[in-house]
Amino acid sequence: MKFKIQRDELLNALQQIIGAVEKRQTMPALSNVLIKATSDSLSLTSTDLEIELVTHLKMMIDEPGEITVPARKLLDICKALPADSDVNISIKGEKALVQSGRSRFSLVTLPAADFPSLDEINVGSEFELPQKTLKDIIDKTSFAMAQQDVRYYLNGLMLEISAKILRAVATDGHRLAYCEKETDCELSDIKQVIVPRKGVLELVRLLDNTEEKIKVILGSNHLRVELDNIRFTSKLIDGRFPDYNRVIPDDGQCIMTADREILRQALVRASILSNEKYRGIRLILEDNLVKLQAQNPDQEEADVEIEVNYKGESLEIGFNVNYMIEALNVTDSSMVQAAFRDSNSSCLLTFPELKDCKYVVMPMRL
Amino acid sequence: MSPNPQHWSRAIALIDMNAFFASVDQRDFPFLLGQPVGITNGMRGSCIITCSYEARAFGVHTGMRLREAYQLCPNLVQRPARPKVYARVSTHIMKAIHNICPDIEVFSVDEAFIDITPSQRLYGSPEKAAQLLKTAVYETSGLLCSVGLSGDKTTAKYAAKLNKPDGFTVIPPWESRERLRYVPVTELCGIAEGMGGFLAGYGVRNCGDMEKLPISILAKRFGNLGRRIWYMCQGEDPDPLHIDVAAPKSIGHGKVMPPNTRSREVVLTYLQHMCCKVGARLRKHELEARTFWVGLHTKFGWTGEKIRLPLMSNDSRKIFQHGKRAIEFHWKGEGVHQIQVTALDPQPVAMQLDMFASNPEQQLQEKMLHKAMDSINQRYGEFTLSPARLLNRSDMPNVIAPAWKPEGHRQTI
Repeated sequence: MKFKIQRDELLNALQQIIGAVEKRQTMPALSNVLIKATSDSLSLTSTDLEIELVTHLKMMIDEPGEITVPARKLLDICKALPADSDVNISIKGEKALVQSGRSRFSLVTLPAADFPSLDEINVGSEFELPQKTLKDIIDKTSFAMAQQDVRYYLNGLMLEISAKILRAVATDGHRLAYCEKETDCELSDIKQVIVPRKGVLELVRLLDNTEEKIKVILGSNHLRVELDNIRFTSKLIDGRFPDYNRVIPDDGQCIMTADREILRQALVRASILSNEKYRGIRLILEDNLVKLQAQNPDQEEADVEIEVNYKGESLEIGFNVNYMIEALNVTDSSMVQAAFRDSNSSCLLTFPELKDCKYVVMPMRL
Repeated sequence: MSPNPQHWSRAIALIDMNAFFASVDQRDFPFLLGQPVGITNGMRGSCIITCSYEARAFGVHTGMRLREAYQLCPNLVQRPARPKVYARVSTHIMKAIHNICPDIEVFSVDEAFIDITPSQRLYGSPEKAAQLLKTAVYETSGLLCSVGLSGDKTTAKYAAKLNKPDGFTVIPPWESRERLRYVPVTELCGIAEGMGGFLAGYGVRNCGDMEKLPISILAKRFGNLGRRIWYMCQGEDPDPLHIDVAAPKSIGHGKVMPPNTRSREVVLTYLQHMCCKVGARLRKHELEARTFWVGLHTKFGWTGEKIRLPLMSNDSRKIFQHGKRAIEFHWKGEGVHQIQVTALDPQPVAMQLDMFASNPEQQLQEKMLHKAMDSINQRYGEFTLSPARLLNRSDMPNVIAPAWKPEGHRQTI
């Protein structure tokens, strides 16, 4: 194998796929990147056995071949080379030689045959949609995914595809984020999959806010997304996602509307003196007024009042302030509506300008 | 410097009960007076928890194996520990101290720091206030204590150690630095071998050497603790009294098992025993936890795991169910001699509600059941009502932990 490539091009390609390379792993091959050179293209592959990232570059190859080399070291070398230099990569014996100008590196290799590949994916259904639709739906929901929950099916993002609708739901049991988008995919039946947390975070890194179409392929155990020059594949979580419709409340009796940014800033201010560990904050609703109260173990207190639209009985309810702030952070819509039932029931956050998103936050007893 | 010998800018006393458990026993059983007494955990305990000064004269000390103690002191009188009595006596003493000077940090079951600064004018001088405390301890309990008085916690503790038993040592704050100058750093409370070795590497053996060492070296290696130690060695320990019992970081119970236990039933009985204790204690303090450490100590070391429950809980039965699964997975039948169950990061009950929790009626039922069981056990004694398996539980008595406190979650035996 032998080829010459621009440093920036190689760096960009490596940065796109480096996320799948775990910093520590048990199989040596997993810390490597698979380089495949055919006569007119180069592909780089990384995997952690759960997700796989492959990037393709169209270019002239001097001598085809395939090999694996340590991914992070190759990336660090590229980073440290001058911006518009050329890089020559070739194999000599059991080493890979990387040469640019008068800098030469020789890296340990492992045979390409040792590089693990994900199981064959059997295509169930496939459809196309604009990149920004998928990016937007993930951005608006993924923050609510659980982390290392024993309820393993919560450690990911639920994607549901039915005729013309793509829906994403994430929850950790304390809060839930729901978002749906119209698409032109023609699926006859409803498909529901759970994409693992890490896959979701890697996928969103690859997506841009453009109308450019991407192809989504759903296998029985895999989700694959094909972008222009990169292919993302993730295994799916084999589990049943909880019935989200059951926990999204109807509008309660107490409906408050407020300026989203003013409410968000008030929450941020009050949160400074909330308990650092539990992040509890007391929200008191009165006539056209919301009082936010926070207290920490040092008995320091914050009291913040803002004007809102609210008519009805006064209500006192506690929340983890982070859950509220995170839900208000995902959109730039100007108003927010919060619907409450009582101090032991969940709160439903919606945005009049953003009909397709709903956020549910469970209260805290303070 | 022209210090006012009457009023100190800071005055801290340490009261250290002399051979506390043994002294309580000698007080309650006059035939033990003048005898070398060694306290063990029940009559089956094989380790000296503490011993009277008569026994110490023979070289017997805390932590020594009973067999070894008998070799040094053939007339040693072994007495079973009475943790409930010690806890009661300690509570009385702490209350009496609190009545004189309210700012008290209960350091352990037989030691307390008292901040005399605010009350020194009331009693005339720090020495007079400290003397009053010593008298109050004797009048309340009939027991002797050693008192150390100085301007900071570390020097006060060092002072109390100088003169035992029944001592009264005063190191005025303006003398602390000189008095500590030739004291090896490892003599101070909180500087163990590891830290001592680090300091020796920099040529700091005695407290007086510390002033040559820049504080940043200690700060870089040990953080705030390092900074504190730098001040400590110069007689200026800045540590305030910790008057409130800090919220628990964990709540756990462990027990030593008969050596080389291999029976699954015995191990499970001990496991359930500990799970019930942890559950009951969590419930008593209205706490719950999601992560529990369940471990068995074998000759190969600790085996076990941190188990995570689906939801926060203080239900002994659920802790046991998950713990049992962990033990069955990790334990291959090798001889066990100790067990531990610990709730990690406990939080106030039902603080954050979960949308997928079991239905409210079931939750309420479980809560009522626990409440009934806990009140029966509180009134008629631990494990009056218990799972059937615990009828075969260990009859080894409960042990009072050194970190026992008269209030809060540490008030447990």
